[in-house]
Amino acid sequence: MKKKLALLMSLLMVLGIVFSGCNSPAETDAQNPEDRVLKVRKKNAMMSTDWEQTTESEDMQITFVQVFEGLYGINEAQGGYVNLLAKDVVISEDQLHYTVTLQDATFQNGDALKASDVVYSYRKAMENPRFNYVTSMIDSVSEIDDKTVQFDLKYPYSPIAHTFFTIKISSEREVTEAGASFGTAPHTAGTGPYMITDFDMASSIKLKAYDGYWRGEPAIKNVEYVVISEDSAAVIAYENGEIDYLHDAPTAEWDVLTAAAGDNCTMVMGNNIRCISINWESKANNGILADELVRRAICYAIDKEGLNLAVVGGRGVIAQEYMPSDYVPTSPKASDQGFELYEYDPEKAKELLLEAGLTAAQLSEGVDIGTILTYGAQTGQNAKIAQVIQANLAEVGLTCGVEVLDIAIASPRMHSYDYDMAIFADSGNYDFNNIRQQVHSESVGMAVVRYRCEGSPFDGERIEELIDQGVATSDTAERVTYYTELWNIVQDSATLFPLFHAPVGICWSGDVNPGDICPTYYHLYSLSWK
Amino acid sequence: MYKYILKRLLFLIPTILGVTFIIYAVMNITPGDPGRAILGANAMQADVDAYNHMLGYDLPFLQKFVNYVQDLFLKGDFGISYFTKQPVFAEIWPRYGFSVRLALMGALLSAVIGIPLGIYAAVKQYSLWDTVPSVISFLIAAIPGFVVGMLLLYIFALKLNWLPSYGASSLRHYIMPMLALAIPPAAQNMRFTKSSMLESIRQDYVRTARAKGAPERTVIWKHALKNAMLPVVTQMGLTLGALIAGAVVVEKLFSLPGIGSLIVDRIPFKDEPVIIGGTILLSVCFAVIMLVVDVIYAFIDPRIKAKYVKMKGK
Repeated sequence: MKKKLALLMSLLMVLGIVFSGCNSPAETDAQNPEDRVLKVRKKNAMMSTDWEQTTESEDMQITFVQVFEGLYGINEAQGGYVNLLAKDVVISEDQLHYTVTLQDATFQNGDALKASDVVYSYRKAMENPRFNYVTSMIDSVSEIDDKTVQFDLKYPYSPIAHTFFTIKISSEREVTEAGASFGTAPHTAGTGPYMITDFDMASSIKLKAYDGYWRGEPAIKNVEYVVISEDSAAVIAYENGEIDYLHDAPTAEWDVLTAAAGDNCTMVMGNNIRCISINWESKANNGILADELVRRAICYAIDKEGLNLAVVGGRGVIAQEYMPSDYVPTSPKASDQGFELYEYDPEKAKELLLEAGLTAAQLSEGVDIGTILTYGAQTGQNAKIAQVIQANLAEVGLTCGVEVLDIAIASPRMHSYDYDMAIFADSGNYDFNNIRQQVHSESVGMAVVRYRCEGSPFDGERIEELIDQGVATSDTAERVTYYTELWNIVQDSATLFPLFHAPVGICWSGDVNPGDICPTYYHLYSLSWK
Repeated sequence: MYKYILKRLLFLIPTILGVTFIIYAVMNITPGDPGRAILGANAMQADVDAYNHMLGYDLPFLQKFVNYVQDLFLKGDFGISYFTKQPVFAEIWPRYGFSVRLALMGALLSAVIGIPLGIYAAVKQYSLWDTVPSVISFLIAAIPGFVVGMLLLYIFALKLNWLPSYGASSLRHYIMPMLALAIPPAAQNMRFTKSSMLESIRQDYVRTARAKGAPERTVIWKHALKNAMLPVVTQMGLTLGALIAGAVVVEKLFSLPGIGSLIVDRIPFKDEPVIIGGTILLSVCFAVIMLVVDVIYAFIDPRIKAKYVKMKGK
């Protein structure tokens, strides 16, 4: 009996030691704002601390916004590009030369930002194939003086603002000294408001406010990104007070989150647009998708409102444009009626199918049009979109399967045109020239539909002319005219059809002022403790 | 015995070769390439092709396989990660150590819970001590570790606020993952031990021990249990191997830096060196565990030990 009692007591003691101090993690945090740590959820492991090596969007939120800065920044809260490290930009009349005067900024290592750092960073990026799409128009970058840089372009290129945003400026000295190991450890090579002080690829990244930041020291001094892959675990961590800032919160758990967050959450329109592409080269049912009437019927059969309701509980925003025209000035506007919108009209869809030569009997039996390919989780948004569209199409007499694969498998199939229909996301940037990656014949491996190739029924040559004309002028109205014609060709082809903007949920703890709410590139700099 | 161990260790070589070949073949037939994954969706195809060429990814399948095997066996080189450019071994070793530690704790806990309950259920067959744990273990054995983990998170992190829901920075962080890993196999251990014990206590030598007047405790612990442990040890070995390789779901749920989650994270990037290196380590680990189980057999069962001694004598 004594032995059993002793055993029980020992067990209780062990449990007591283990559970000691198990009060809420939020309570254990230091209350001094200087010591408090803002904990931000991150979905995946971070691969590199070098902006040039980061490919995943969450990693880019850290390196592109918090740690490094470009000549321009993106202001999603108000829309458009803003000057960042570029104090002033002068464009030559022929639009081939950009003279950039730099801010009086310093790197986190204390070195002053110099023109040579900009030249170094651009030259390095120009050698990196990842950035060809934003640097290929640059002929040379040269240092005029310590604070002035000149960009010489091969041809006029009005979307260069996106280049100035994408390419970040690193400290030449620090990157050169670190050599090949740069990016594998914390560093102080950025000019951004935060520097990386601890980097554990698998589990967390710690940031510290840079007190010499040229726009003033950030209000929140310490930030820790913690990797929590599972959405449900992240929701529990937020509810439990272990996470202070949850960006891109799981929409499937939004009701639970709002119940826990109260007023400390919001849902905004994401830049990410879900689209369906219809492959005219598909071999399904003897090439039925090569028929433009069938493709148009598919577009008319899709109920975007119903889709939005079924997939994201009506929290998304219906997309009529490739990019939202309210904050992409160069985007064609749906309200201008310059292109087909394919408003939901199942009767019209049926008429078009009959016009295409299908009989009423065939349609009542169901005509096979192949498979909708998409990626992500079997219960994820893309899969749900595919299922709803499958049901929409069945209503007009078209039958199809749904195939949900891992992105690593689905994406190469989409980019090699090995599919019938596909659901995918195209994240906007802030210039309509981004459409190039979807429609230009040089965009091999990026586009999901071929417009200019042997046997193409489309005017691919005109599409590419319009792209060239669009970048050759900086007159926004003129660019909108070109892009409206371009988007009209694409919409008439009924091959690429925007569905809706997925919503982005953001939750923060009661102790935090959330600052500027941004769907993609949030700025920790704008956050503060209450 | 040493000869046997050496023989079994040598058998690891074809095992590694086989595993490497299978993984290489699987990676080869799945679409996608590291160049695209690393350079991103905006890179030109020509650049992606050049990048793949630089990595040696575009080499014929057999040539890649032979090169890898040569480097692995002759230089002990697991290669360089396509994605992080770091030596693979340096990336996978800490993760591997973490997974082994977690799995060992999970397996130990599953044994501590499952085996005594199994023994007790067998000894008290048809009593409540048998029926209740048996029904519970039957239910638990059917619940996946992920669901157990979610339940634990809900109860201990969210409702009671006793334990942190993610990370691995203190002992407290290990409690829920360890339980999530241990509970389903504990139920299996319990059922396995019970059936093995039931078989053992009905044997003649147990009846003989009782007839000789040995105390019940000695009969159970010395005569019945020792013989009943053979299949249980095998089961525990399999459990440990499965926990090391299969803890990925729990690792993901509790955000733990294990080898399983590393491999899964790199699959979309087609980071072959890391995926293959990690899988090889796991298969070696599994083979070593099975070897240890065989050696333990010899210590538990004198008949097996005698067989080895006899072989040595010849």
